Amino acid sequence: MIVALLAAVEEADFQYLRQTTGLTQGNLSTHLSKLEAAGYVSVEKTFRGKYPLTLCRLTERGKEALDGYRKVIKGAL
Amino acid sequence: MHEISSRLLEESPEKIAGRLMQKAHNQDGLPEMAIGVVFLVLAGLNWLPTAVKPGSVAHIVAICAQALLIPILVLRLPWAIKTARRKFLIEKAGYVESKPAHKKHLGIVIVIAVVVAVAGVFAAYRGSFPPTSWVLGATGIGGGVLAAIAGRLPRFVIGGVVMAVTGLALAVSGASLATGFAILYGLIGLLALLSGCVVFVLFMRTPAEGGE
Repeated sequence: MIVALLAAVEEADFQYLRQTTGLTQGNLSTHLSKLEAAGYVSVEKTFRGKYPLTLCRLTERGKEALDGYRKVIKGAL
Repeated sequence: MHEISSRLLEESPEKIAGRLMQKAHNQDGLPEMAIGVVFLVLAGLNWLPTAVKPGSVAHIVAICAQALLIPILVLRLPWAIKTARRKFLIEKAGYVESKPAHKKHLGIVIVIAVVVAVAGVFAAYRGSFPPTSWVLGATGIGGGVLAAIAGRLPRFVIGGVVMAVTGLALAVSGASLATGFAILYGLIGLLALLSGCVVFVLFMRTPAEGGE
């Protein structure tokens, strides 16, 4: 779901992803860490004024993985 | 999340992502408030030419404002909402950078606008406008259906039903086009503004959770 959301935008921060998915802070953090470790998502810690932003973007590898998943689901249906 | 995971097997990830993003887009009430303002301005601009002498400066200004102000408002409001969110609500609403609008979607909007404009000019030239009741009824039903489909939330469906019923009521009431549009747009604008304000207050009351 996180990958699908990130595929629909250029980039989003942790708070936006948390609001949109309805996941808890810890749960989303764990998912993002795993996606980052797999190379599907890039995470960048930055600031916007005084507000800290954890910016997430889908990598090329993540896009390919989503396409692959989509094909598998289409094949199954 | 389990609900989302089970839906992934029935629906494409893009559709689910689109729905969740739409829900997030409307969570602070700002888009509804913006729509409310646009409709209230539209209602005022529809009513104004009926209240002043035809051909007077005020009459011409009202018609020009209707032609220029509404497209400017519609085009600039998304930018205003984005700026307000990033400046004042980033801690609560989060940050997102959308992808640039798809050329295909922009093309569809432009084609629809051109078709409507050409049809309007042609009808004016031939002097064969459809009956006022049809226009009011169709606007109410069309706008209502559009609001329900685009909003995808119960409050938008309710707003859509109110718009459709108001349009039909105005159609059978025999109101003139300008008065009918002023009432229809005024009511919907007021409803959207009030609903947006309530959603905004509720959103601001929910405590913000910190970042990661």
